[in-house]
Amino acid sequence: MREIEEKKLLTIITPGELQRMVVEQLKKRGIGGYTVVSASGAGTSGLQSGMLISDSSVILYIIMSEERLQKVLVDMDKLMSRGYRVKAFYQDISILPRKKARTGGKS
Amino acid sequence: MLGSAAANLIDPAVLFFVLGAAIGLLRSNLEIPPAIAKFLTLYLLMALGLKGGAALASGGLPAEGILAIIAAIAMAGFVPAYAFYFLSRRIDPFDSAAVAATYGSISAVTFITTQQFLSVKGVEFGGYMTVAMVLMETPAILMAVVLATAVRARQAALEVAVDDPNDDVFQPLSIREVLQEALTDGAQLLLIGSLVIGYLAGQDGKVEMSPFTADIFKGMLAFFLLEMGLLVGRQISEGRAKIDKELFLFAFLSPPINAAIALALAYLIGLQVGDAVLLAVLSSSASYIVVPAVARYAIPEARPGVYFTMALGMTFPFNILVGIPLYYAVAQSVWT
Repeated sequence: MREIEEKKLLTIITPGELQRMVVEQLKKRGIGGYTVVSASGAGTSGLQSGMLISDSSVILYIIMSEERLQKVLVDMDKLMSRGYRVKAFYQDISILPRKKARTGGKS
Repeated sequence: MLGSAAANLIDPAVLFFVLGAAIGLLRSNLEIPPAIAKFLTLYLLMALGLKGGAALASGGLPAEGILAIIAAIAMAGFVPAYAFYFLSRRIDPFDSAAVAATYGSISAVTFITTQQFLSVKGVEFGGYMTVAMVLMETPAILMAVVLATAVRARQAALEVAVDDPNDDVFQPLSIREVLQEALTDGAQLLLIGSLVIGYLAGQDGKVEMSPFTADIFKGMLAFFLLEMGLLVGRQISEGRAKIDKELFLFAFLSPPINAAIALALAYLIGLQVGDAVLLAVLSSSASYIVVPAVARYAIPEARPGVYFTMALGMTFPFNILVGIPLYYAVAQSVWT
């Protein structure tokens, strides 16, 4: 059996329009893999019904190393400081990797 | 005038809008699956583009059409300029810029509903008004982004700079990026593409596509307005966004003011009554699809709950229920 790896699961909730911007930012940190789910809800920005293209939210799930997570959180903090509606939280996960771990691998 | 308003209110599509709003206000569990809701938006834009393109192919672009398009672009520049001037002295300048963009741009569904209203009344209008609508979408966004950039620069000059100039997360968006975002918006591209296809396909294409663009159109519009009513009702019942008094007044007073200016302009340049009403509706409507989408990206400091709620929860129902018959009645009385 493959060796279980300890990773971080970062969850980002953002309006659908900002998905591209967030993904571009992740790419700059060398992250190309993520999962996107459409979402609806409500918050201080009002109702995000998910019925119109302009009021739909997305949830992005990204698995990464602790080291990379810290850099991404700094990026998200900067986006929030500029006013972008982004929510980010993370949790520890144990993952059965698709690829067997390589010595010195980054994530 | 009252008769026209009453006739509009018993239009099935408008009644479905009222029904949706009532259901939304009652917090009923009626749900339209988001995928279907989004499909309806795309359907209406596609049908609108095809019909507009076919009308352009058969009628061409007469001098009156060119004048109408110039008037539309002028209104698309004038409305956000005065809106920002008026609002930025009273409320947050970023909110002002986003609201200015929202009101300088247009609502395609209000435009479609007006076309349907005019068709039922047997009033003619030019296919070039769809081109005018497309061209009115972007100037307000660009103007608002320029204004927001100016506000940002002014604020930065007053504050101690904390941003790292080498940090690309903090680099302000260029006009090119914003323009790309606005012009590559999916809804906008579908509308422009459908307009071109409708034009190329001409009358034969119009006949072939009529089961899609004409026969089921009214039913689909009614379904979409039901969805919009639901959204409006829920926006109101949720009541999460705090709308300042000035903005509340702006949401209800600016549509008739903009419509009056547009009608005066249309009268001066000699547009026919149908085109004049459409120009009035375009000038008085507010965008709740393209502009909010771009503003979230380009003016992140502005509160989406404010400009989106104003456009969708206030101005849109005002125009659907009161504005369209009102502008038509005024135009009828002036033109005849």
